[in-house]
Amino acid sequence: MKRVEMKKLFRAIMPLIASLLIILPAAAQKMSPPGPGPARPVNLPKITEKKLANGLTVVMAPLPNVPKITALLTVRAGQATGREKHPGIAQIAAAVANEGTDTRTSKQLKEELRSIGGTLDLSTNQDATVMSASALSEFSPRMLELMSDVIQHPSFPDSELALSKSNTIEGIRAGRADPNFLANERFQKIIFGDHPYGFVVPDEKSINALTRDDLKQFAATYYAPNNSFLVVVGDFTPDKLFAEIQKAFNSWKSRELPSEPTVAAAPRAKRQIYFVNRPGSIQSTIYMGNVTIARKDKDYFAIRTADTIYGGSFYSRLTRNIREDKGYTYSPFSSSATMARSGYWVVGAAVRNEVTGPTLKEIFYEIDRMRSAPVTAEELDAAKAYSTGQFSVELASQAGLAGRINTVYLYDLPRDFISTFKPKIEALTTADIKMAATKYFDQSGFAVVIVGDYDKVKDQVATYGDVTLLDTEGNPITKTASK
Amino acid sequence: MRRFQRKLCGLLVGLLLLTMLSPLIHATPLSIPVVYYKLPNGLRVVVSEDHNAPVVTVAVYYNVGFRIEPKERTGFAHLFEHMMFQGSANVKKFEHAKYVEANGGSLNGHTDFDYTNYFETMPSDRVELGLWLEADRMRSLDVTPENLKNQQNVVSEEVRVNVLNQPYGLFEWIDLWGNANQNYYNSHNGYGDLKDIEAATIEDVRAFFKTYYAPNNAVLTVVGDVDAGDVKKMVEKYFSNIPQQPQPARPDIAEPPQTKEKRVTEPDKLATVPALAVGYHAPAQNSPDFAPVVLLNLILQGDDSSRFYQRLIKEKELSLDLQGAVNIYGNEFDYFGPMIMTTRTTYKPGHTGDEIVKEMDAVLADIMQNGVTEKELADAKVRYRSNYYNQLESTFGKAHLLSTLALFRDAPNQINNALAPFEAVTRDQIKAVARKYYVPENRTVIDRVPEQKGDK
Repeated sequence: MKRVEMKKLFRAIMPLIASLLIILPAAAQKMSPPGPGPARPVNLPKITEKKLANGLTVVMAPLPNVPKITALLTVRAGQATGREKHPGIAQIAAAVANEGTDTRTSKQLKEELRSIGGTLDLSTNQDATVMSASALSEFSPRMLELMSDVIQHPSFPDSELALSKSNTIEGIRAGRADPNFLANERFQKIIFGDHPYGFVVPDEKSINALTRDDLKQFAATYYAPNNSFLVVVGDFTPDKLFAEIQKAFNSWKSRELPSEPTVAAAPRAKRQIYFVNRPGSIQSTIYMGNVTIARKDKDYFAIRTADTIYGGSFYSRLTRNIREDKGYTYSPFSSSATMARSGYWVVGAAVRNEVTGPTLKEIFYEIDRMRSAPVTAEELDAAKAYSTGQFSVELASQAGLAGRINTVYLYDLPRDFISTFKPKIEALTTADIKMAATKYFDQSGFAVVIVGDYDKVKDQVATYGDVTLLDTEGNPITKTASK
Repeated sequence: MRRFQRKLCGLLVGLLLLTMLSPLIHATPLSIPVVYYKLPNGLRVVVSEDHNAPVVTVAVYYNVGFRIEPKERTGFAHLFEHMMFQGSANVKKFEHAKYVEANGGSLNGHTDFDYTNYFETMPSDRVELGLWLEADRMRSLDVTPENLKNQQNVVSEEVRVNVLNQPYGLFEWIDLWGNANQNYYNSHNGYGDLKDIEAATIEDVRAFFKTYYAPNNAVLTVVGDVDAGDVKKMVEKYFSNIPQQPQPARPDIAEPPQTKEKRVTEPDKLATVPALAVGYHAPAQNSPDFAPVVLLNLILQGDDSSRFYQRLIKEKELSLDLQGAVNIYGNEFDYFGPMIMTTRTTYKPGHTGDEIVKEMDAVLADIMQNGVTEKELADAKVRYRSNYYNQLESTFGKAHLLSTLALFRDAPNQINNALAPFEAVTRDQIKAVARKYYVPENRTVIDRVPEQKGDK
C-alpha cells in the first residue's frame, strides 16, 4: 500500500479522526484501548484428596471440557535416583516399564491403549518418575487398570531392555548435534555439580551395564504406593472414579523406602565461560545463570515475577532490547525453574555469530538494571496480570490443571496453593522484585555456557570471563588445538 | 482441489445470504455452540460460547499463507506476519504484546501453507481489548523502514535457529516439498531463503497488506466465556468500517500428477545420526478417498501400536523414532491445496534409507494384499475421535478448528459433525486407498545422512 492511499483510506474510514490529525500533535492522535468488561466469575477447580489403605494419595479434580480423562501417577524417584551404583537406571526403567508386564507384551499394551484412545508414557525429571496417561473418559477403568499393571508388574523383558539401551544411546548421540541440548546439558552439569540435579543423561558405559535384575530391583524399591501420588483430571464424577481407582490400585503393596543421601546445592561464586565448541555453527547458543531456590522457598513469588519482567514474557525487557530493538535474535528467554530441593535461573538466546559479544553485553546490562533500580509500578502490574491470567488459562486444560496440582504434592506446597496464587502474586511490591533480582540475578557468579564455533567468536567473548573450552561430550580441549 | 473450491462457492452463496441476516445457531451431535455470520464488508465472524473457565481466545485468520507468496520473495508471508506486531494507527511498535500481556493474556501468530493467524487468549472480561487490537491492525498497519529492517534480522535469526543451525533443518518439510512438487507454489521454501528475506521492501509489505489483509479475506473467531450478543456489538463497532478490497485471481496451485518415484540423498553438516523422510501426494480433502487415507495413516503411523512403528522400531530395530500423518504439522482441516502425506524417522547409523523404505513397502504390500483387521479399523476410529477431542479442549484449539472450517469451507458448524465421514470408513476403502496412493511413483524419498568428517 502506498503512503498516499493509506491516508486516503484512513480518511474514508474515520473522517473525524482524520481532521483532528491535522491539528493535533502526533502523541494525541492515538485512541485509547477499551477497558475491561464486568469481571467474570472465577472458576476454581474442586479438588478432592483421598488416601488408599496402601498409602497412595489420590487427588481428583473434575474438568468436563471434553469427554476425556488425564492422569499423572508420580513416583518420588528422580532421574538421578540410584546413580551411585547405576547411573541412568531411573531413566532406563521409565523407558522400559511400559514395554511389557507380567501378563502383557509391549504390543498388547500399545494395542489396548489404542482401543481406548489412550496414551501412557513414563518420563523422569529432577524429582520424580511420572507416568502420564489419558483416554476417552468412557474407558477410565481400563486406563487405570493399565496404569496399575505397568507400575506394579513391569517385566523389563531382556529384548526390550536391549532395544531401549541401543535406542537411548543413539538418541543421546543425535541430541548432541542439537545446540540446545548441548547448552542445557552443560549448564545443568556446571551449576549443580555433584547435586542430583547435575545429572542429565548417563554415559554409554553405564547404560550398557544395566541388567534386567537391576531394573526389577529398582522398581521393587521405588515404585511403591507410599512413595507415590495419583492426580486425575477430566470428565468424571469423583465417587465413581474413586471406586475405579480403588479397584485398580488396592492390590499395590506398600513397603519400606530407602532414604536418599542429601547433597546441598549452592550458587556458584565466580563467573566463568564454558564454551562448547561446535565447529560450523552459524549461531552462538547462550545459556547463563545460577542456582537459586527450591519451590517451597518464601521468595518463589518474587523471583518468578522478577523473571517475568526480565525475560519470562514476550513484552519483557530482554525481548524488547535484543529482539525488537537490536534484532540480534528470534527467541531470547529467561526462566525461573524451582523444584523440590533447589532451582535455577537461566537466561538464553541463539544469536548470529557476529553479535555474540554485543548480546552478552545487553543481557548483562539488563540484569544490572533489574538489580540497581526498582521496576516501574506499570511493569509490576503488567507482570502480575500476566501471571494470574496465564494461571487461569493453565487451569482450564486437563493436562494444565493436572500438572499444576502435581506440583503442589511433589514440592509439598500448601494445599491452598491454587486458590491463594492470585493474592500472593498481587501482594508483591517493587521492593520485593528488586530484592529477588539483587539476590538471585547476581551475574558475578554466573555460569555462562555458549555453544558455537569458537574460532569464529572467541574474540567477542573473552572480555566476559575466563574461558573453559569443551568438546560436545564435555571434555576439556586446549584452545590452540581447536583449529 | 480447485473444483472443490468452485463448487463450494456456488453452494454457499445462498447460505451466506441467510447467515448475514440472522446468525445460525447449530446444535448437532457434539453441540458446540456456533454463531456464524458475515459483515457487509465481507468479514466472516464465528462466535462460540464456552463457560468452562473465565478465558477467551480472539483469533483472526487471513486467507493467505506462504503457499501463494510472490515468486522471488520466499518467506515473505512469514516475514509479513512479524510486521503485524510492529504497530498500527493506535498501537505503537510491539505494544500489541504489551496490551495483551498486561491484561493477563498471551499472544502469537503463525504462518502456514494456506493461512496466517493472529490470536490472543485472555481473561474473558478483556475480549473487547482483543477485538480492538485486531481491528486496529487490520485497518491501519503502520510499517517503517526501520521496523522492516529490524524484523528482517529477527526472521533471519528464526530461520537460523530453526533450520540452518539445526541438524536435519526441517528437511521433512522444506526439502521434501521442494523435491516432491513441481509447481513453485508447492515446492518453494516457505521459511524463506535469507537472500529473499533481506530483499523484501516496504512497498512489498504495503501491497501485501492491502490485498490479503482485507476483511473480505479473513475470518474473525471468538471462543470463550463471553456473551455472543455482546461480542456481536463489539465486532460491529470495531470491524464494520474497515473497507473491503478487490481480491486478485488466485494463482494456480494445482500440482501435476507425479509419474516417477524420486529418491534423493542429502548430506547433513550438523547431524550425527541419519534420518529419512518419505512423502506421498495426498487425495484432495473433498475426495471420498480422504477419510480412508486419514485412518490408514493412523493405522500406519498413528501411535506405538501402528504398523510402521512396530515394523521399523520394534521388529527390525532400524529406527529410533517415527512420526507421520497426512498433514504432519497440522490437521486434516487446516490447509487448502495439495498436501504431502509424510513419514519421518531417525534411524541407526550403519543402516541405509533403502532398508527403511523396503520395510515400509513390505508393510504396505501386506495391507494392499490382505487389508487391515476389523479391530485395527475400529481402533483407528477411536483413536481419531480421541485425537479430535484434544483439539476441542482449549479455547484456542476450538478457535483454530472453527476458523479454518470457516476460512476453507465456509462451514464452521462442521466442528460438530466432522467425525461422521471418518466413522463411515470401511476396510475395503482402506485397502483401495493403500493401493491407489501408496505406490512408488507417487512418492519422494529423502535420505538425510551425516556428512563424513573431512568432506568439507
